[in-house]
Amino acid sequence: MRRLIALLALATASVLGSQAFAQAPMSPVMQGLFLLTDYPAQTVRAGEIATIRVKMQNSGLAPEPMALTLSGVPAGWKIDILGGGQPVASAMPGQNESVALQLRVEVPKDAKPGSQQVMLSAKGSRLQSAELPLTLTVGTETPAKLSLKSRLPSLRGTPRSSFEYSVTVGNDSGKDLTVALSAQGPANFQTTFTEGFGSNEISSIPIEAGQTKDIKVKVTPPRDVKAGDYPVLVKVAAEGATAELRVTLQISGQGKLALSTTGGRLSGEAEIGKTSTYTLVLTNDGTAAVDEIEMTGTVPTSWKVEFNPRTIATLAPNEKKEVQVLVTPADKAIAGDYVAQFRAGARGESSSADFRITVTTSTLWGMVGIGIIAVALLVLLGAVARFGRR
Amino acid sequence: MPRSAAREGSPFTGLGPVFLKEFADHLSSARMMVLMLFVIAFGAFPVASSLQQLRTVTESDAYLFLRIFTTAPDRVPISFVFALNFIIPVMAIGLGFDAVNSEFNRRTLSRVLSQPIYRDALLLGKFLGGLATLAVVLTALWLIVFGAGLLLLGIPPRGVEVARGACFLVAAIAYGGVWLAASLLFSVIFRSTATSALCALGLWLFFFLLWPMIAEAVTIAFAPAQIRSAEEFLAVEQVGLVLSRFSPGALFSEAVIGLLNPETRTFGSMLPAQMRGVIPGAPLPLDQSLILIWPQMTGLIAGMIVVFAAAYVIFQREEVRA
Repeated sequence: MRRLIALLALATASVLGSQAFAQAPMSPVMQGLFLLTDYPAQTVRAGEIATIRVKMQNSGLAPEPMALTLSGVPAGWKIDILGGGQPVASAMPGQNESVALQLRVEVPKDAKPGSQQVMLSAKGSRLQSAELPLTLTVGTETPAKLSLKSRLPSLRGTPRSSFEYSVTVGNDSGKDLTVALSAQGPANFQTTFTEGFGSNEISSIPIEAGQTKDIKVKVTPPRDVKAGDYPVLVKVAAEGATAELRVTLQISGQGKLALSTTGGRLSGEAEIGKTSTYTLVLTNDGTAAVDEIEMTGTVPTSWKVEFNPRTIATLAPNEKKEVQVLVTPADKAIAGDYVAQFRAGARGESSSADFRITVTTSTLWGMVGIGIIAVALLVLLGAVARFGRR
Repeated sequence: MPRSAAREGSPFTGLGPVFLKEFADHLSSARMMVLMLFVIAFGAFPVASSLQQLRTVTESDAYLFLRIFTTAPDRVPISFVFALNFIIPVMAIGLGFDAVNSEFNRRTLSRVLSQPIYRDALLLGKFLGGLATLAVVLTALWLIVFGAGLLLLGIPPRGVEVARGACFLVAAIAYGGVWLAASLLFSVIFRSTATSALCALGLWLFFFLLWPMIAEAVTIAFAPAQIRSAEEFLAVEQVGLVLSRFSPGALFSEAVIGLLNPETRTFGSMLPAQMRGVIPGAPLPLDQSLILIWPQMTGLIAGMIVVFAAAYVIFQREEVRA
């Protein structure tokens, strides 16, 4: 068998080159049965269940069943040997193979701090045996601890923008936690939490021990909020541990134009070819002044529309300004109702009002008609005067 | 014509008795009964059908009452207004075609004129008597239609609807007046009643049937071979409209459309530029509708006066001592 391996190694070495050739004689040749674990001395917590991974390694021996026993289990403790999730009493690794085992350690709540020695032993029928001493130390529990960080804790915007803060929540404790999320802001400020890259609103988020998660806090201020700085307190809490973070909204004011008339009546009359004047009222309902407002109008083809004043330099919040609009229907317009649209526009802000204009014809032609009838009557009277009274 | 001396006094002395006598004669005559039956038969049928159709209308219509006049029902292809368009001339001709010449033939004219009544008063009295009879018949018909509407639709007409209906009635009477004056003219010209009736009815048929076709043919003949722009099309259409308006029936139709369809803004087409910004279906105020149809009304009233003046001049120059 060993000669075969050596031959194989030589054959491989001739292919792989000199480095592989040099390592070939160093391959392990230890024979025996071993019980292995990564951490033979572990910390367990009172009242909790710890799982210890154990491996049974068979190096170069013929397989045989190995009975597993535990000794030195402290009073009140319960340790089960599990293989493949089930309690097992023996294991049988093949030649040069291993079997994974688990020790499920149930530590009683009242376990005293200190170290306990437990011995796991495996015994075969042909005098083969292996032993694994384990030291289990009952330690005190590390308390839950959370951290909360934001890269950009202060954002700037208008009352209509939404403020999104990226927040990193860290679980600095030794166990998985479900973290509840909350926020405290000024009245009527709406806050929602979403996952870092998701759109679902969340109210809590599970975080594994030692891990961090990114969440987004979206704050929507009310539309009519005044300019200023508004703090929002973001809180995370889990099992008695809390963390807080203060984010700030710097809200700059925004103007908002509203176009109407004094009585709210959006209709008027106009005679063909004559100028009619209507009074519009421009109001700034916003929280900041609006600058450089320009008045424009859309009227039917070849009508004339003028504004007085055509531009307004600035309109402070809650200020009203009257604007005269002069509309002249086209000479060829036909009587009836028409729609004209008047607009007040500034940078990033505009308002429009649809105005219904009833166009009337001049009564001049009506007079002409009466004149024609009068002429006809005069003809009749002339006939009476010429030929009458016969 | 030698005029020895101008006679004294008002030319309208005796107008009252002539008018009343004519009015009374018309209302009690058998001819009037026949005409009345004719009118009711032609008027009631479209109205009854359009009312039946309007009863099923569920959408709200601000001018529902006016639709009684203008709706052309599915089963009857004519509306009430269209029926009026040809029964009014027939009625007016029936009332006026023998106004003067029958007096000649019965040799009563010289007897009447030997009374202290001028010819002026006689002719005007006959015309006004006929017009009053026509007005009575049309008003009665109008009231019947409104009453039937009230009864079958179950809603009262609004004030503006009544006003538009009243203006429509005035237009109908003026339209009747034109044909009454025309038939009076023929009764003065021709001594034979049959000839004058034939001429009046012939003229009516000419305007009712032939004139629209002639107007169209003339328009096509004078139109350019290729119409290139909307303005050109409008100009050609305008020529056609002006030609067709020589017919009193066309004037009456347009006046009625303007009055009873308040949405009417113009009788021709509108340029696309004029259409921009228009609120479709918006009704015109009554005064604007009146301004719109005022030329048509002027045409009807002035035409009536001019035709009567012609009849008057011919009658004054005639020899009546037969």
